[in-house]
Amino acid sequence: MARGMQSTVSTARNARRIAGFSPSRANWMSLAMIAPAVILVLALFIYPLVYGLRLSLDPQTGGGLFANYANFFTDARERATIWNTLRLALPATFINLAIAIPLAYRMRRVVRGRRLITGLFVIPMTLGTVLIAQGMLSFFGPAGWFNKTLEFLRITDDPIRLIYNKTGVIISLTIAEFPVVFLILLGFVSGIDPNLERAAQMLGASGWQRFRRIILPLMIPGIATALALSFVMTFAVFPSAVMLGQPAGETRVIAFAAWQAAYERFDFSAASAIAIIMASIEVLVLAVVLGARSRLYRGPATGGKG
Amino acid sequence: MTAQAKADQSLAEPSRGVAPGRPAPRIERLRIRNLTKRFGDLAALREFDLDVRGGEFISLLGPSGCGKTTALNCIAGLLDPDGGEIELDGTNVVNTPPERRRFGMVFQNYALFPHLSVRRNVAFGLEMQRIPKSEIGERVDRALRLVRLEEHRDKHPAQLSGGQQQRIAIARAVVTEPRLMLMDEPLSNLDGKLRMEMRTEIRRLHQALGLTTIYVTHDQEEALSLSDRVVLMEHGVVRQMGTPREVYHEPASAYAASFLGSRNLLPVRVTGLEGSLARIEAPSGISLTGSLRGELAVGDDAIAAIRPENVMLLASDQGGPNTLTGQVQAVEFLGQGTELSVSCELAENIIVRTTEDTWAYGDQVALRFPEDRLFVFPAEPVEG
Repeated sequence: MARGMQSTVSTARNARRIAGFSPSRANWMSLAMIAPAVILVLALFIYPLVYGLRLSLDPQTGGGLFANYANFFTDARERATIWNTLRLALPATFINLAIAIPLAYRMRRVVRGRRLITGLFVIPMTLGTVLIAQGMLSFFGPAGWFNKTLEFLRITDDPIRLIYNKTGVIISLTIAEFPVVFLILLGFVSGIDPNLERAAQMLGASGWQRFRRIILPLMIPGIATALALSFVMTFAVFPSAVMLGQPAGETRVIAFAAWQAAYERFDFSAASAIAIIMASIEVLVLAVVLGARSRLYRGPATGGKG
Repeated sequence: MTAQAKADQSLAEPSRGVAPGRPAPRIERLRIRNLTKRFGDLAALREFDLDVRGGEFISLLGPSGCGKTTALNCIAGLLDPDGGEIELDGTNVVNTPPERRRFGMVFQNYALFPHLSVRRNVAFGLEMQRIPKSEIGERVDRALRLVRLEEHRDKHPAQLSGGQQQRIAIARAVVTEPRLMLMDEPLSNLDGKLRMEMRTEIRRLHQALGLTTIYVTHDQEEALSLSDRVVLMEHGVVRQMGTPREVYHEPASAYAASFLGSRNLLPVRVTGLEGSLARIEAPSGISLTGSLRGELAVGDDAIAAIRPENVMLLASDQGGPNTLTGQVQAVEFLGQGTELSVSCELAENIIVRTTEDTWAYGDQVALRFPEDRLFVFPAEPVEG
């Protein structure tokens, strides 16, 4: 009996070997297949990171391993860039979520025109921050359409200042990041089984209750993803903070501080340290957001089979 | 409920009997008139009429696209009908939004809220009604006991099997004490054995709770076994309505016959009429006698229908009225019987069901078509 079984097993193994699928060979093959991706990640991501980290720990001005970091945190003007950046990135991210969540919910089942509307919302992504900043400069400028219209309608006498300050940067970041947030949320909300809402409705839930009790909780994973992505991208704000804000004052963002260190003071070591600090803050926020997400519901968004 | 209505109900179907402890239904009458729904050019539901007594179990039966689900969604309020009335004890509810109709609904894919525990799923409807917490707990426990899943109350839907999920969905609907229970193919996602168990479960719950129920299915067995009355639909129109025994034994059309198990449908021509009997001729020239169903005149095209179990299988040397000889082309053993495919002068493929298991491929046999079992219907296009 046992012998018979053994011979069956070895026959199967032989058959596999003949067919060229022996286990060790398959492993080797799959390693070879992922090699290009691994090399690319190493070259484009890991190497610069390690290089930058090393550079930041070798201060040009001397003073020991962590001198660059110590300088950054002891200099009030440098330290303030973290806060300056957060004050731009957080409002822009939350404004986007506040607009995109109800909008994605509204668009979850519109069949006609959905593609067109989605397309319109996505256009800002193709423009790039510089073009958006240029447009805003002329639109919101003292002689731009915005203030001309307000004056014409006698709503204001003095032009409203929406550029060269924090507000301008927040507006431009909101416009630039909205498509990403919206598309992520639309994807998540479209994946929610429409029968769940119908079931809630049959159980007596009003429109708001269905959104609040069923849709919103099921959108949490999408909201966390959108929040994390939007935050990371807005935290790295640079062109719009310079063009639309006050790069010497309230919109002196952390990326600008790094740029000044590198190209005004030519201290690449200090610039690397600032970049590492920037990355650390982003990773920290990502960890908090994704950690919170994993503690909330993250299962399927359908209510059963089919 | 008035005494009269109660009397009506208990008289209606003495064979089933009303369980002694069965609670009174929450409505007395649902009256649907002229319900119509179009999707673009397609008339999904045409002048749909239905009267349901409180406590009754009605099945809407038909193939996909026959309008049964459209009818159910219109009754639920999830679809806006283009016209018609849905009267519940004299009040038209067509303009009442679904969340205020107080109907329960069970979906084909269960539609349990995946982020809520079993207990919270079942409690959802009661929370929407702002019922006090203590009462909610009590009623949820009772509903879970009813579907025998009380030990799973803290799990999430994804941790349960399909059958368990559907029982939770039923508990979630019944716990709110709906005025009307709507079920949209609740068993079609389950596999064979489970399906039978759940069918019994639904019947048991209906007996125990007396919920007025409208049940949508494409499965004739489900419809026959569960319902007080079956509504057979096709292309948005009601084709026949009656008790399971009526629609089974007395199909009103070739369509009804084909949907309720007459798998042998033969195009024929009427050559003679004699009282309730019709003389018919097959394209091959063979003549038979069948029972007339519907308006037919001599010379009309007709369809002769007979169930596999009603064809009598005889030894090949036996003759007699309405009897033809043939040859067995295929034998299928089904456990409680055997199904043969027999070719004869009438048709290439007559399906015969027999309890004997002595037949083999190539056997010569004689087939007798009892004239009271061979129905002759006016011709109409019939789709599987």
